Amino acid sequence: MESSKQNHLAEEGSSEALPSLIKAITANELAGFDSVEEHQDLNRRLKSTLVHPLSTSIFGIEAAAMENENDLSKPQRTHSVSISMPPSPVAAHLHNTNRVLFRDEETVLENDNPNSAATVSLQTQRAKFYSQPMPKGCALNEAITSGTSSNLPVRNPRIDKLKDKRFDSFKTWSGRLERQLSNLRGKHREESEQEPQPQHRAEVENLPVDRYFDALEGPELDTLRASEEILLPEDKKWPFLLRFPISSFGICLGVSSQAIMWKALASSASTKFLHVSPDINLVLWIISIALVLIVAIIYALKVIFYFEAVRREYYHPIRVNFFFAPWIAFLFLALGVPPSVSQTLHASLWYILMTPIFCLELKIYGQWMSGGQRRLSKVANPSNHLSVVGNFVGALLGATMGLKEGPIFFFAVGLAHYTVLFVTLYQRLPTNETLPKELHPVFFLFVAAPSVASMAWARIQGSFDYGSRIAYFIALFLYFSLAVRVNFFRGFRFSLAWWAYTFPMTGAAIATIRYSDVATSIVSRTLTIVLCIVATLIVSALLVTTIIHAFVLGDLFPNDIAIAISKRRPKTTRRWYHRRSGSSDTKVEEYLKYSNSDSKDIEGSTNSSNKQEMSGSLHKNVERHHSHDVLEPCKFDVFL
Amino acid sequence: MGEQVPQSPISVVIDPPIIITATANPQEPKEAASPSDSILSRLHAGYFRICLSFGAQVLLWKTLNEHVNETNSIHSIFHTHSFPSTAFFLLYWLALCTLILLSFLYILRCIFYFRLVKAEFLHHVGVNCLFLPWISWLLLLQAIPFAKETKNFPCQMLWWIFIVPVVILDIKIYGQWFTTEKRFLSMVANPTSQLSVMGNLVGAWAAARMGWKESGVCIFSLGLAHYLVVFITLYQRLSGARHFPAMLRPAFFLFVAAPSTASLAWSSISGSFEVPCKMLFFLSLFLFTSLICRPSLFRKSMKRFNTAWWTYSFPLTFLALASAEYTREVKGVVASGLMLILSTLSVLVFLGVLIVTAANTHTLLRENDACLN
Repeated sequence: MESSKQNHLAEEGSSEALPSLIKAITANELAGFDSVEEHQDLNRRLKSTLVHPLSTSIFGIEAAAMENENDLSKPQRTHSVSISMPPSPVAAHLHNTNRVLFRDEETVLENDNPNSAATVSLQTQRAKFYSQPMPKGCALNEAITSGTSSNLPVRNPRIDKLKDKRFDSFKTWSGRLERQLSNLRGKHREESEQEPQPQHRAEVENLPVDRYFDALEGPELDTLRASEEILLPEDKKWPFLLRFPISSFGICLGVSSQAIMWKALASSASTKFLHVSPDINLVLWIISIALVLIVAIIYALKVIFYFEAVRREYYHPIRVNFFFAPWIAFLFLALGVPPSVSQTLHASLWYILMTPIFCLELKIYGQWMSGGQRRLSKVANPSNHLSVVGNFVGALLGATMGLKEGPIFFFAVGLAHYTVLFVTLYQRLPTNETLPKELHPVFFLFVAAPSVASMAWARIQGSFDYGSRIAYFIALFLYFSLAVRVNFFRGFRFSLAWWAYTFPMTGAAIATIRYSDVATSIVSRTLTIVLCIVATLIVSALLVTTIIHAFVLGDLFPNDIAIAISKRRPKTTRRWYHRRSGSSDTKVEEYLKYSNSDSKDIEGSTNSSNKQEMSGSLHKNVERHHSHDVLEPCKFDVFL
Repeated sequence: MGEQVPQSPISVVIDPPIIITATANPQEPKEAASPSDSILSRLHAGYFRICLSFGAQVLLWKTLNEHVNETNSIHSIFHTHSFPSTAFFLLYWLALCTLILLSFLYILRCIFYFRLVKAEFLHHVGVNCLFLPWISWLLLLQAIPFAKETKNFPCQMLWWIFIVPVVILDIKIYGQWFTTEKRFLSMVANPTSQLSVMGNLVGAWAAARMGWKESGVCIFSLGLAHYLVVFITLYQRLSGARHFPAMLRPAFFLFVAAPSTASLAWSSISGSFEVPCKMLFFLSLFLFTSLICRPSLFRKSMKRFNTAWWTYSFPLTFLALASAEYTREVKGVVASGLMLILSTLSVLVFLGVLIVTAANTHTLLRENDACLN
């Protein structure tokens, strides 16, 4: 309560609005906090959020200093709502929303407020801040991180709708599309007529890749670091579409590769003795078509309704590789077509399927080559294999269809970039952030490219010649060197992306089938059977795990933290950093010189991208990989 | 200094800068002129890009000529049987004169300004430009118009004369890459490093065309091995690498030139444009597409004219040459169309850069060249 009084006082001092009315509203708010009719009132009347009093109470001088940037152009149009108990660090988000692309029409309202906390942004947000989200919910935007269920009374649909506003920043055009659609459907939403036009156009926020590295950790870069906060409420279950990651296409990859494997088992000469029925292939193929369609439709819905979330996934250094997964899944479907359905496919299908892969490649490989913040030495991680394997799968499909030049084209491109990626990953460069320190199933992706490349080369050349064999043996070696370390694959949280890591094993099994066709022997046949059994077992185990997680545990689609990271580091977790000098000086100089144009790289984890907040920072001299250890919270050192 | 004690006045002497504004008109490369000090001191190996582009163009025209004579494909489009030979001769002599002039000037520079040449050698970009003269000579050697084949003795002698410096430079530079700490590849790698690789590959190409398969394979393997290393290193963009000036961004097109040259070299060695050659050609094509989809990369370098703009020209020409070989192997509409497009593009770019250079001769040899930053 004190804080709210404080808020009121502060507010009275600075706002030109009607203090008494504000107070009244506050009181109303408190009293009718949970009531629906109150909400309606609030919805209508409350257009701006009261960040101001909150901010002053929370952020104090610091915030006030920052605040000046904010344009206090217009006076408050409507009353501001003050927050009762611990003020929500909403303000930070509010201002952030001024600058950030996730914006709602209501963003403009924040501009009206003398936001003290505006610039401070997310740092002040704490997930633990429990403020009253309801009034906030209607007036504030998306960026509210606060709000726990404890403060919220029993839900009613109206309240739920209000809460939805928090996710608006992730919606397409900040929720306008959704409103349009619901307007079209005749749903009446009260806020719609009162939404003024946004003052700024939503600017494109390109989250620099450093932010992802700073804020996330883990082999799949999906775990939030302790010092970071996210834009969306952590304790609330987000809308399903928001929780549906692109890595769900991994299921399609896993199942469709199984279909190919059973097709090869049924049709190949060396495995005739197993008498595998071609129906298995048919059933699996139909299942995979269904899966691909379902996942594609859901993700298409996500693209339509939550485009900003999709954009953020695209900027994620690991998830971006999964954007190749749908197209690879389509290629697998074409490869696994049962003979009973179709014997030959039209060549134009290949061109259609390869065009998206080609365009994506141009973009991603170009990023690697032209340097900058997404250069390979920085972002290389085993998931990059997904961007390379698409070339080989396309070459394989094209060669199966009888095309000549196209498969060679993609094989060449894939080979060149695979070599680069392979060497980079093997080097484990110190500037590489994303390589998991421990063994993780993602490492099985190493096996994918050589095995598919060997099959593709065999098709292109017409026979399983030396080039194919070399590639195949490399794949086999990598497989075994990972399989004997199976003990180290422990302690990881299951995620849908694991399905994507099964297709390399299936791919190795299929390559073994092809190899045993030409080098028929007991050893090769045994190997074939063993690998096929292993692949099938793993897929079955994954299936069971998925079902358990889906129906029993209910957390198959957890909140997708990785896409909700904030643009800037939480300010209060700033620390003084010890300036690294001495041994790394010369390296640092070189580092500086190279990244001069891209200072974000230099400053790395220690800084936000906002130059203004860089005052007094020496972080420039700290190399990132050192800084991680040094800069974890609770380490204080006086900076020189 | 805040000292009050009067001391002997400290005289500050400013050495006259080495690069002074030339009083004489800067000459176009093709005009014969007496070398003046200022020009010698400002002429650096990067100017040989002009000769290289000329040489590559000559070779392209020669190849297209042969192609037209062989396949009649262009005949069906343009209804000509051959390019006018006078134009071709003219171009060849132009290229030769340019090259002779520049080589002469550079020899004089080595004599009189050896320390500048040494500075070039020690610079991480300049050292790669030292390969440019030899590549130009090797190209012109291949493009000799009056000889049907280049297997006669003078040509072979000339080949030896040109390849020996390349190999010496190779030994020096490649050795430094992994032995000299200050010049480790991770520090000095930049897109112009592919020029050293191209030197080897062009030498191998010339050798193979002269019938020396073994020497060709030898130099080719040298080039290919180091190309692999350079390609990977450049793609990694290690953060320890030294700064690459934005004015030199056209050097990214060397990514296109190197695989094309490798493809041409291997096709000469193996006799036909097989799958490895096709793969290298396709890689080159892909990189070319990737670069032209990124015009923003070159925006800074396009603001002011500099000799690095010539680096737009010869990689395209090499790509067109490779596509000509490709078309010869894979006959078809798509391949011929590709060759036509690439050749046209290369000629247009060459003419464009030539015109821009002619219009900007006053900035030649005067500017603070980014090549030697």
